[in-house]
Amino acid sequence: MTFAHPWMLLGTLAALIPLLVHLFDRRRPRPVPFAALSFVLRSQRRTASRLKLRRLLVYLLRTLLLLVIPLALARPEWAAEAAAGTQGRGPAATAIVVDGSLSMRYADGKPLFERALARARDVLARLSPEEPATVMVCTREAAAPPPAAFDRARLRTLLDDGKASYGASELNRCLEQALRALDDSPLPARRLVVVSDFTQGALRLEAPAPTWKDTAGHVLRPEFQLEDVARGVKLANRAVVDLKVAPAVQVGPRAFQFTFTVRNFSDAPAKDVQATLKLADTVVTKGFLDLPAQGTAQKTLTWNFPEGGSFTGEVALAPDALAEDDRRPFTLEVPRELHALVVNGQPNPTRYRDEAFFVDAALTAQGSPVREALRDVDAAFREDLSAYDEVFLLNVPAPPPEAAERLQQFVERGGGLFISVGDQVDPDAWNAALGALLPRPMRVVRTAATREEQGAESRAERLAQYDDRHPLLSPFLGEAREGLLSARFYKYLLLEAAGPGEVQVLANYRDGAPALVAARKGKGRVLLFTSTADRDWSDFAIRTSFLPLMHRAAAWLAGSLDEREALRGRVGEVLTLSPEAAQNAAAVASPSGATVPAQRQENGAVLLGPFTEPGLHAVLNAAGKPVPVVLEGSESDLSRPTDAQLAAWFGEASVKAAAAAAGPSRVPLWTWLLVSASLAFFLEGLLLRK
Amino acid sequence: MELLDAKTLSRLAGARLRARALMEGVLSGLHKSPHQGQSVEFAEHKEYAPGDELRHLDWKAYGKFDRYYVKRFEHETNLRGYLLVDASGSMGFSSHALSKLEVAKALAGALAYLLVRQQDAAGLAVMTGGQVAELPARAAAGHLNALFSRLEPLAPAGGADLVAAADLLAERAGNRSFVAVFSDLLDERGEGLKRVLQLRARKHDVAVFHLVDPAELSFPYDDPTLFLSMEGDGRLEVNPREIRESFLEEFNAFLEATRRACAEADVGYERVLTDAPLDPVLLRFIAGRTRRRGQR
Repeated sequence: MTFAHPWMLLGTLAALIPLLVHLFDRRRPRPVPFAALSFVLRSQRRTASRLKLRRLLVYLLRTLLLLVIPLALARPEWAAEAAAGTQGRGPAATAIVVDGSLSMRYADGKPLFERALARARDVLARLSPEEPATVMVCTREAAAPPPAAFDRARLRTLLDDGKASYGASELNRCLEQALRALDDSPLPARRLVVVSDFTQGALRLEAPAPTWKDTAGHVLRPEFQLEDVARGVKLANRAVVDLKVAPAVQVGPRAFQFTFTVRNFSDAPAKDVQATLKLADTVVTKGFLDLPAQGTAQKTLTWNFPEGGSFTGEVALAPDALAEDDRRPFTLEVPRELHALVVNGQPNPTRYRDEAFFVDAALTAQGSPVREALRDVDAAFREDLSAYDEVFLLNVPAPPPEAAERLQQFVERGGGLFISVGDQVDPDAWNAALGALLPRPMRVVRTAATREEQGAESRAERLAQYDDRHPLLSPFLGEAREGLLSARFYKYLLLEAAGPGEVQVLANYRDGAPALVAARKGKGRVLLFTSTADRDWSDFAIRTSFLPLMHRAAAWLAGSLDEREALRGRVGEVLTLSPEAAQNAAAVASPSGATVPAQRQENGAVLLGPFTEPGLHAVLNAAGKPVPVVLEGSESDLSRPTDAQLAAWFGEASVKAAAAAAGPSRVPLWTWLLVSASLAFFLEGLLLRK
Repeated sequence: MELLDAKTLSRLAGARLRARALMEGVLSGLHKSPHQGQSVEFAEHKEYAPGDELRHLDWKAYGKFDRYYVKRFEHETNLRGYLLVDASGSMGFSSHALSKLEVAKALAGALAYLLVRQQDAAGLAVMTGGQVAELPARAAAGHLNALFSRLEPLAPAGGADLVAAADLLAERAGNRSFVAVFSDLLDERGEGLKRVLQLRARKHDVAVFHLVDPAELSFPYDDPTLFLSMEGDGRLEVNPREIRESFLEEFNAFLEATRRACAEADVGYERVLTDAPLDPVLLRFIAGRTRRRGQR
């Protein structure tokens, strides 16, 4: 007999209460002088035997009631001797392999993994003393099991220490290793006991089953004993399989929409499944979704963040029996308000000819986090720059030395500087005034085509390539690529081949000349665009890519966009961190507090992982943001291979024996216990009424 | 009438006061009774002489003898009433305002008043502590004092020897005496009632006032209780809930058997509940007695 909640059995001690009450209840009866005592005596004599019987019955019924209720709550099941078919086949060297994959965390009352350990202990106890045995809890990280031996206590300790993982288990590899651990046994038979839920992801059935060679060199299949803890039942499950976070500009400048995909792996549809969005353990919004049978559904929850900053959280479904895959963590950088000084180098009364018209429109568009101050050159160089996060110099003549000095200090202290060129820019004067700030020294202006000439559009320069791994340009993928590559550049500024410090060329023209160059200067950043930010030298300002690029540029210059933003992992995965990213995330701790292994490579990159737990991993140095680690999708699918597929791999006899053992051999007893408790309660009431 | 319920009587100290109050209540009831004036009975015939009451002419005798005879009546001056009061321990039981003995004393006192008021002789026999004490019957008004001085200090004690008391009365009472028994009849030997009923066979007019406490009719105990005997050292621990049904069955059977035995022996029987008004009991008794005498 097995119990789903064995600790409830402690409650059976309550069955002693009637006995203890009987033994220790020595309440002194109230003395009452009574005239008709002879009648009392006669009545007592007349009813004595009947009363004695009734008292005994009441006592028995109460004891039964107090015994049966905790017994029923412990949910006992009658387990007939399982796997009888595989017993008594003679002694064999035995390896017990317990599946420790994520799916074994499925808990319908009691986790499958707990049941599996109990089953493994049973099997171990039933082995005859002359059978050497070994035990392995199979996870992706599990080491090979110890060689088969007769020390049962050690094997029981291994089982006691076993823990289910959050990933797939690679059962094929474990079975191979377990069979190898039996190599030293002199017994002529090998038995592999597989304790698993036998879900689709547990085994790769296309790979061959393990074999061994006897002393004569014959290749033999081991005898398989299958212990199916799922009892042949296909387990229902649903999981969050994808999460996309995107700004919801239509709602507000700091609003984001969390679109997550939920897959229903069961054959029954689900209605009104609750989904919640949590920020740091606080539910901020929730919704409901309907899931078709064996289908997926998407749900979008939107949240308007009241302020910018780094946020962590998760989207979660109402938990089912496998709760681990019902949530997905995320980290999110919500843009803070940026203060930008836009310096207009060539004002024009006609608005669309104004140098700053397009930049101004982009930065003040709905959803932009930028608070902009637009100034002409003279006014701008008198401004206190410390009030701004970034400065946009749009076709500005080379600043006077004092202003150049202030600009340089501003950048070195962490400010961002955007420079676009134009007719007002004299390369030599700029090199002289702000040479230290420029990513590369300016050279000459090149004219690719004159706009008025025939065929100018085809001769105009275009962007040939750009660095889409850089956070500035990472959104321009797929269809968005066209918006960037279709822009025409009639004139642009050529730069010197090399400059001081580390420089990143983010985009090039077709002739190889840089179009967008980024550099870090001190604590600040500089972005140099080698054409105009209005329509004088190019038509980039009227392309669809202009507005998002200006937003990204504003964010990147202020440090809001970060290379670390993309850092996220998956259970079982090893992340390769670039040297720059590794500075911030080299030491990472899992949600349970274990340090994730990190290995530094020769080129400065770091291999981080493998991750063994899902959830937000804390970065141990102060600079880093938590790393969200999600589960592998394959373990959420709890469907089973057919019996025929299993029989082809394990052998028909083993599968049949397992099916017989998983079938009617387990009889739930608690319903009958509750029925008898109700009956006892009713009879006790009946007896007391009489 | 309400003045004479058990609660009101319990406020009156002493048997004499209670008996008097009770008697006055009964008398005021008697005045309203259609049987008023029945306290004289036929004595002899006398030949009619002028001046005799015409309404006493015996027309049947005239039919037989063709002469006028008038019926002559005489008062019951020769009626001897004995009041037999049980003062055993069990009569001390009380679940309400008055114990059985106090009720018995009030009833006996009231009857004594009535007897003496009618110039009948009233005697008293008290059973207490296994003994029977007797006060001979006298008709003198001053005898009431002696009677009450015996009744008043009576306290419940010991058992009641109803057999000895009945034997004593059989010996002392003359012919056609009136015997009123005030008892709960919880006689261990069970012979007492039989012997009392035998008095009827000796032409005595016997009435039994059976005193019953309401607790004996409802057995209102729930928790385990140690019942103590009121006439000895007996004690019995029982769970009243378990035996209530059986007890009530037994006790009601006892009441019914007693009533039936009295009816069969032509003995007046009044069940007196100690929490009920007492004057209706006496009125009912007197009316019943008059009716029976009319029938004889």
